[in-house]
Amino acid sequence: MNEPITNLWSIPLLIVIPILTAILVNLLYNKANAIKTIAISSSITLLAIALISPFGFQWFTGQPGVIPGGGYTFSADIFAWRLSLEYYYGSLQQILIVIMSLLLAFVVFISTRVLKKNFGTYIGLLFLLYTSAAIIIMVNDFYHLWIGVEFGSLLVAGVVAASGESISQKAALKYTFFSALSGAGMAISLALILGLTGYSNISDAIRFMSNNQLGGMSGVLYVAFGFLILSWIYAGGLAPTHPLKSDVYGAAYPHATILLQTQSKLMLVAMGLIILRLFSGLPFAKEVMLAISVITMMLGVVMALLQTDFRWTLAYLIISHSGLVTVGISLGTVAGIIGGLFQAVNDIIYMSILLLCCEAVLYFGSGTSIRSISGIAKSSPWLTGAVIVGALAASGIPPLNGFQSELILIQAALGQGLPEIAVIILMVSVTTFIALFKSIYSIFLRPADQTIIVGKPSADATTTGLSPVPKVLFLALAVLIGIAIILGVYPNLALNFLNETAMKVVYVPWVP
Amino acid sequence: MGSIDSIYDKVKKYIHDFASGRGASSAMTGYMSGELQTVVFIMIIAAFFRLFSIPLGMVILIGVVAAVLYFAPTIKTMERENASDLNQVLFWVVIYFAAIIAVTLWGR
Amino acid sequence: MIEITLQLLSFIAAAILVIVGLTGMLFLDNLIKKIISFTLLSDGVNLALVSLGYVEGGIASILTPGSSVVDFPYNAILIFGPGIVLTNIVIGVSTTAILVALTIVLYKRYGTLKASKVLKGERK
Repeated sequence: MNEPITNLWSIPLLIVIPILTAILVNLLYNKANAIKTIAISSSITLLAIALISPFGFQWFTGQPGVIPGGGYTFSADIFAWRLSLEYYYGSLQQILIVIMSLLLAFVVFISTRVLKKNFGTYIGLLFLLYTSAAIIIMVNDFYHLWIGVEFGSLLVAGVVAASGESISQKAALKYTFFSALSGAGMAISLALILGLTGYSNISDAIRFMSNNQLGGMSGVLYVAFGFLILSWIYAGGLAPTHPLKSDVYGAAYPHATILLQTQSKLMLVAMGLIILRLFSGLPFAKEVMLAISVITMMLGVVMALLQTDFRWTLAYLIISHSGLVTVGISLGTVAGIIGGLFQAVNDIIYMSILLLCCEAVLYFGSGTSIRSISGIAKSSPWLTGAVIVGALAASGIPPLNGFQSELILIQAALGQGLPEIAVIILMVSVTTFIALFKSIYSIFLRPADQTIIVGKPSADATTTGLSPVPKVLFLALAVLIGIAIILGVYPNLALNFLNETAMKVVYVPWVP
Repeated sequence: MGSIDSIYDKVKKYIHDFASGRGASSAMTGYMSGELQTVVFIMIIAAFFRLFSIPLGMVILIGVVAAVLYFAPTIKTMERENASDLNQVLFWVVIYFAAIIAVTLWGR
Repeated sequence: MIEITLQLLSFIAAAILVIVGLTGMLFLDNLIKKIISFTLLSDGVNLALVSLGYVEGGIASILTPGSSVVDFPYNAILIFGPGIVLTNIVIGVSTTAILVALTIVLYKRYGTLKASKVLKGERK
């Protein structure tokens, strides 16, 4: 590696700029124009920083890897102790943070257009949500990992409660209760690993465990694994906590759900990789992770079939597709991890398309239940086109991006001798199609009939007191659909970013 | 004692009831395909236990078939157990946690 | 025979606090009681974290001028525990604040603090 031995300039900016923006917009409180200017320019700055930043490290309270003979090193080949709290910005971090920054810019733009009052605090929360996800994906030490998860889950509760309905307040309360429980569990788990190894840096802890043949020997390690898995389950909304997480997704504003689901996908990826790096030596560790992922996929997609509201269908599908991401990661092979990471990228994109369409349906003023609204295709054909493309991408139809990652996942599962997993992945994509088209047919394609309140076209919406569908929403849809098609045709554009991470996790797990 | 005709009529009426009506029908198809999906998913997950040991997989598969028949319609049980009641979710989480620790310790 | 040390005793106290807190969160129906159980759980975790770094006759892990650099690693307590406890206290307070705030809002809406009434799944 040729990087100079210095802290990378961009990492602190990616953390500090959103925090400062959050403080500033919160103080401005109700000055709409100032808030808009600051929030939008800051989100575009973040996107630019994430795009142009080189790869590198940021150390707190310390130095780069210390060579036993003295001096510092970056190289993965030379034995060195890191001994410090550390962030790493690499290719995986870059692609995920760039996508998240793009979504942040769109979400901030949309929320400044559609919310009428007191939105300073709300936008501040969105920026902090971004910070928590950025921390977790870049982190390479236990301390920041724990802080990121804890503070991220409080923010989720804040963003959900902000939509002000009774169901969202309940969802926030339930989620916070659970965050209290699993945050405590995570602290115990990290403390146990620390007690065993004595290092707060994840690379050092893994190096210590492999040098001392600790994997599988210590009973304490199993308890630590259990608690860390518990917090992973909770942060990503995997199987037993999925009712709480789907409540969160369904009860927030759909545009906020875009950021919520992005944050939880990033948490799933980051924590999943850390668990894999730390515990892949434990017997049955990968099988446990795999079982949880499969159960999540199944419960999510079956519950999505039962919903009669587009918002809740999407909420459960997001849960189900989180399972697809973690299946790849928990297979533990290079192909599996690449598939899981690519699925995370694609999932964020096509779920955002669907959620933006859901947001647009809300502006028609009759809710998103399949019983209350119909016939949107006539008044907005472009929106209908977008929702169909999103649904096809989510169900893994070529040439869209969902197809490529599901193909890699299926091949990885078959390569591991697990045809059951391949069958389940196929069934999940078919069922996703059924669940989505049930809603899409009823809301968009079914002709409006007299007994059902017909959705009002967006042009008249200003006279009825509803927000018109903002232009920026269509811009966001166009950009995201463009990315979905490009990634579907040229998957290597994204895969080039993910290969290196997957190789490192499998072959040299102590390298961040 | 029903004749063939009467059974046919019953089936026809049953299918007709599902297929007619607007909002109700699309909700109902969800339940029907959900039921089918659940049963198949549960079978596949039971077969997954062959990874740990093949006799265990066979026993669990038979147990699961019995359980599916006992709980039928499965989808209703499933929906009830997946309600977002806080106490219920906490209960399931404790069960999961115990299972995770038990399985990993067993493999030791 | 396990030697009974101060560290072991504080681990036992922490375990008792965690179990009491967990039981309360699981089985008490009143939201305020659930929140109090959470604070007990969080205190138990803090105690466990502090005890983990305990060293018999140890010193604070701050290298002061004049102290021996050679002895420091053997005598200093583990710094991660106290560090994470400080943060845990702050996060615990903010979590409690959010829980209480949401409980107040929901109490105004429903007039009851029973979790089985307020927090039951309703939409399906």
